[in-house]
Amino acid sequence: MAQVSLGKVIKKYGDVQAIHGVDLQIPEGAFCVFVGPSGCGKSTLLRMIAGLEETTDGRIVIGERDVTHADPAKRGVAMVFQTYALFPHMTVRENMSFGLKIGGADKEEIRQKVDNAAQILKLHDYMDRKPKALSGGQRQRVAIGRAIVRQPDVFLFDEPLSNLDAELRVQMRIEIAKLHQQLGATMIYVTHDQVEAMTMADVIVVLRDGRIEQSGSPVELYSNPDNRFVAGFIGSPRMNFLPATVVASGDGITVISPDGLDGLEIPVKTMASPAVGSQIVMGLRPEQFSPDGALRLSLDIDVIENLGGVAYAYGTAGNAVADQLVVELRGALPANGAQKLDVGFNAGDVLLFDAGTDQRIR
Amino acid sequence: MTTATDIRSIDRVEVDRGHIARRIKSVLVHGLVLFLVAIMLLPLFYMVMMSFKTSTEIAQDPLGLPSSLYLGNYMNALASMGYVRSVLNSLGITISVIVVVVLAGAMAAYPLARIQNRISRIIVMIMALGLATPNFVTITPIYVIFRDLGLLDSYVGIVLAFASLKLPLAVFFYTGFIAAIPIELEEAARLENCNNWQVFWHVIRPLLAPVTATLSLFVMLMVWNDFTYPLLLLTDKDKFTVMIAVYRSVGNTGIDPTMLFPAAVLGSLPLLILFAVFQRRIMSGAMAGAVK
Repeated sequence: MAQVSLGKVIKKYGDVQAIHGVDLQIPEGAFCVFVGPSGCGKSTLLRMIAGLEETTDGRIVIGERDVTHADPAKRGVAMVFQTYALFPHMTVRENMSFGLKIGGADKEEIRQKVDNAAQILKLHDYMDRKPKALSGGQRQRVAIGRAIVRQPDVFLFDEPLSNLDAELRVQMRIEIAKLHQQLGATMIYVTHDQVEAMTMADVIVVLRDGRIEQSGSPVELYSNPDNRFVAGFIGSPRMNFLPATVVASGDGITVISPDGLDGLEIPVKTMASPAVGSQIVMGLRPEQFSPDGALRLSLDIDVIENLGGVAYAYGTAGNAVADQLVVELRGALPANGAQKLDVGFNAGDVLLFDAGTDQRIR
Repeated sequence: MTTATDIRSIDRVEVDRGHIARRIKSVLVHGLVLFLVAIMLLPLFYMVMMSFKTSTEIAQDPLGLPSSLYLGNYMNALASMGYVRSVLNSLGITISVIVVVVLAGAMAAYPLARIQNRISRIIVMIMALGLATPNFVTITPIYVIFRDLGLLDSYVGIVLAFASLKLPLAVFFYTGFIAAIPIELEEAARLENCNNWQVFWHVIRPLLAPVTATLSLFVMLMVWNDFTYPLLLLTDKDKFTVMIAVYRSVGNTGIDPTMLFPAAVLGSLPLLILFAVFQRRIMSGAMAGAVK
């Protein structure tokens, strides 16, 4: 177990800068998830921590050691790859014991550690099989087992579940979370799936274009996003955004009127006082609509997705400029063929963002 | 009105027609394959058949089958060509060349496959030139260099000569194959405390087994059957390869069929046996990488 500190970490490929001075502290024993869209630099950052990518500038400290330019094997990390990266010519046992053998550990110690990891991951029945004779989930468990036997300070996971089917992904997600509780080790996990991030993480780091947009606990990022990108990225379906105009501001209240929804005025508590008449963006999550909300909205329904326990109505409201609004529905659904849906929401759930900078107006 | 029974009988007629068409096509394809195989095996069959004929039979009916399996030709050939010694020479030289080519080729190909820069591309191009260069072009320089180094008429010399000639082929084989090995395997090995050599030895080398089998077959065929280099570089009778022993026993002043054919059979026999034994492995190597 060790904490991981990144200090102004930069990665350049020739003239292209992939990581722009990232600063991050991951506490000892935390489960930290790097999340972001494709190409945001999350895997690059993980590989820099692993030592598989050279760090152009900045410092990487694991525990008390500066490992910025240390060999991957000297960093006290173990990595689980998206493609498992099991050695195909070795059995499960050989795969799991390979690192210890190379490191010169004695046979009894290797056997003990491998058996222990196999027990944790329920791999006992497969120890003499080669990877090609295993299912995707079993291979992933072997890859995790290979990491466990090395007893690293930090576990690194690079999108480990993306090659698995939906059901197995949920199962493995739970297993990894249990493993974290059991081992108590620091784990850094890369994913583009925000559901994985929300369900597994102690700390989520949202990245975009090689920069950290926000880091914090899942609940913090969900309820208190710093900017429109984080607000949109965290939560599924994504947050609704509507352009709006400030109609009054002061005394800790900003009153806005969503464009195209004449007559609807929403008083939002803010410390800042945006100029009256200025353009802003209001954000409201699909699940924050409710039948008994104080502020009312009439939705022209395009389509309703019924998932059983919950349904999502997609449509437009008045002449609102937003592409499409998504409203979560629980309980009674509108009658078949209904064209209109009357929904409500509360002003306290509305978030405001600067239309120019996309930063949150608090 | 068409009844259900009518429809079923129409369907059956169409199914039968389709079945007959497939059968005819299958017979034609198999017939063509058998014909091609027969054409390819004919010289081999002729060689074996002739090797069992007496000189009288050969003179009277050169294309006919032998009346009996006469082994006298083989006895004469074995006695005159120093067969066992020459087979051992060929085996020793071929195996040594394969070992050198496989090891050096794989080790050279590994960085060439992984380091993508101008220098590696130039080296690969030079290797391609080596592949494209006819062996006759390199005979004189190799002879002169080996003469100056005192490597003429030595096993080391002939092995080095063949190894240098076949190395471009090995590098080409391995470069493509190694490039297709996921880089994550190497990264996983590096995280497991492996240095470059250990990554190569423990991870890359074992994965090259299928392609090594195929490469070994090619090199074996080329080296075993090569005539010019052993003829040029070896003069000691005890170091002759099978091909040179065949040539020397037949002589270059006239052709005696009772000596030529059994010697040719004996010369090819070890190779055929090796191929038969390792056939499955070799074919799986030739197909490796064709599908995921």
